[in-house]
Amino acid sequence: MFSKLVRWINDRWPLSALIKLGLEEDIPGGASYAYIFGSSALIMFAVQAATGICQLFYYVPTIDHAYSSLSYFRLSVPFGWLIHGMHYWGANVMLVLVWLHLARVFIWGAYKKPRELTWLIGVFLLLTTLGMSFTGALLPWDETGYWATEVGTSIAGTVPILGDFLKRLARGSESMGQLALSRFFILHVAVLPGLLATLIGAHLIAFRKIGSVGRWDEEKRKRTGPFWPDQVMYDAVAGVVFFLIVVTLASFAIPRFSGPADPVDTSFEPKPEWNFLFLYQAIKAFRGVFEPVGTVGLPMAAMIIILLVPFLDRREERDPYKRPFAMAVLFASIAGLMALTIAGARSKPGVQQPTVSGPAATGPEGTATLNQTGEIGAAALQLPGQKAAGMIGNPGHGAKLYVALCESCHGPEGKDKVPNPGSEDGTVPPLNPIDKEFVSPDPEVFAANLDKFIQHGSTPAGPSPALKMQDFGDSNTLTQQEIANTEAYILQLNGVERARIMHPGLAPPLFFGLTIAVFGLATLWLLGARYKKGIPKPKI
Amino acid sequence: MDEEEFPRRGFFKLVIGFLSALSAIAVGIPFLGTLIGPAVQKKKGHFARVASLDSLPLGEPVEVKYPDMTSDAYITQMTMNMVWIIKRSPADVTVYSPICPHLGCQFNWDPQARRFACPCHGSIWTVDGKVIGGPSPRPLDVLPTKIQNGVVYVELLRFQTGIPQKVPV
Repeated sequence: MFSKLVRWINDRWPLSALIKLGLEEDIPGGASYAYIFGSSALIMFAVQAATGICQLFYYVPTIDHAYSSLSYFRLSVPFGWLIHGMHYWGANVMLVLVWLHLARVFIWGAYKKPRELTWLIGVFLLLTTLGMSFTGALLPWDETGYWATEVGTSIAGTVPILGDFLKRLARGSESMGQLALSRFFILHVAVLPGLLATLIGAHLIAFRKIGSVGRWDEEKRKRTGPFWPDQVMYDAVAGVVFFLIVVTLASFAIPRFSGPADPVDTSFEPKPEWNFLFLYQAIKAFRGVFEPVGTVGLPMAAMIIILLVPFLDRREERDPYKRPFAMAVLFASIAGLMALTIAGARSKPGVQQPTVSGPAATGPEGTATLNQTGEIGAAALQLPGQKAAGMIGNPGHGAKLYVALCESCHGPEGKDKVPNPGSEDGTVPPLNPIDKEFVSPDPEVFAANLDKFIQHGSTPAGPSPALKMQDFGDSNTLTQQEIANTEAYILQLNGVERARIMHPGLAPPLFFGLTIAVFGLATLWLLGARYKKGIPKPKI
Repeated sequence: MDEEEFPRRGFFKLVIGFLSALSAIAVGIPFLGTLIGPAVQKKKGHFARVASLDSLPLGEPVEVKYPDMTSDAYITQMTMNMVWIIKRSPADVTVYSPICPHLGCQFNWDPQARRFACPCHGSIWTVDGKVIGGPSPRPLDVLPTKIQNGVVYVELLRFQTGIPQKVPV
């Protein structure tokens, strides 16, 4: 029945021929776990596509709603935390795998004739993956992504002559705004994925047409092993291992909320993710007119050299032990990149962050901030966009604002009872612990209860209270983003996580435990089956 | 191939190639135009009311936030903007753009050390905007300012980052 169906299809569409093209191949020297990086990167791409599409059902690519729509997905949609976390960590793991694949191919000399084009396509795949990583970072429209992109596109702006044009082309305007988000969005979800898929296809066709490079040792090359199912089994095992690594990271290292993007924020310390730390560190070595050399020149020269590798090294020799120069270059580059990355990770931006702004003339230390509603009356001024209570703030950032603006009346960490003569209570209400009527187990309700006071201020009951709560929102002393951060901090003081997962589907540790249990049982069952059938151990 | 057929087929190929190329150009130029056009448009600046002179302390830089109508492509709305103002004398102010001339971060004022400092790459400026450390290629950008009836008006221009010259974008 089945074979009849296959024959019917084959008469009309080359199904078997395509499967044969995809799977039938002999690897000189047999299958190996050393060859798994490319296919694992491909598996990770599939994970990224699936988790990316899933997020698109919820994500709204506008500056007003991007952050909130993603927060909603992560906290209120069952398994949203998992899908988002897998996408975040999957991107990192995929990038590592692509780099490892490149190093593996280099060591095996698999770029040499006739595989030059396979190598070139591969380098373009690496560049496209880096492009995905760069464009994806902006989409949450949070502090981390916003400032990384502000700096990243400004780096493009330092290119001589073309710089300003390139920067404008990336942003769609001279500053970062809706047009920049739209551009990065369409690049990330349509243009670059399409390019990736096309290049992957071209890469695989070239790979199949010319065949696996196999071992370099002539003796060992004489024994061959089939791609299917030998290599595919190794690929599947490795793919599952990386998949489980991603699930583990998504369950236990949930990406933090850095707070909604705030273009007038002066207290955020931007630092790139690990993948661009080497560049961040390299910039520091180049000053003045030489800066474009470090930011653009060197990375571009490195990429051009990587592209030209098959044409620079045209000897036939593939044995890495007989290519000491190539190996020295590879390991020196890896060591250099790792040293820069580690130095970048450890380095402080160089300047002590000054105390964050305080209201004008409220204290001896701290920068003065002024808010000006101008001729527009405070009550009439309603800024559009998301209001603070609906945004997931960054408590660390809120803590800095708290020290600058709230501490003088509410005490360090909200614990003191600061005297307020002339008020009914006689003291400023403490925030830690805060009055029970504010508290709600739902962080959004809790934040909304605080929000009224921070936005509009209040005058305590009593004949003539000396201290009054300032209207930080109405007077525009704080942006809505800053208010969201402050609220997150006060919630944290009271033991409530603003970024708490409300509808997890399954709690992260439980999901992780179940996944590991299922895969563990399956492994045991498969090992048992092998033992029962007396299948010998594989030779690795 | 038939000898006589050859010139005819050659002509066919010419027609196919010519028509395809023309169509590609006809679609391609407008396509690029849509991408490049808005990106290179110059925005018109305007003076916005920022602060009353009386509210500013003398000699101390203050971070002034003020609301202003801003246009971002098709979104025109009230947004919060920010500038640094130093009142030099009762009737004279210097206003700095809050954008680091290096790579566009927001710098800050360190009141203890009495200097401006950028958290991204560690540029440092004196209160007069002069570079005293870090990669900043030029002094802080001073913004065009007007004082009318005791009110400070500022034109929030942006300048190209990363270059020694102060070029408005």
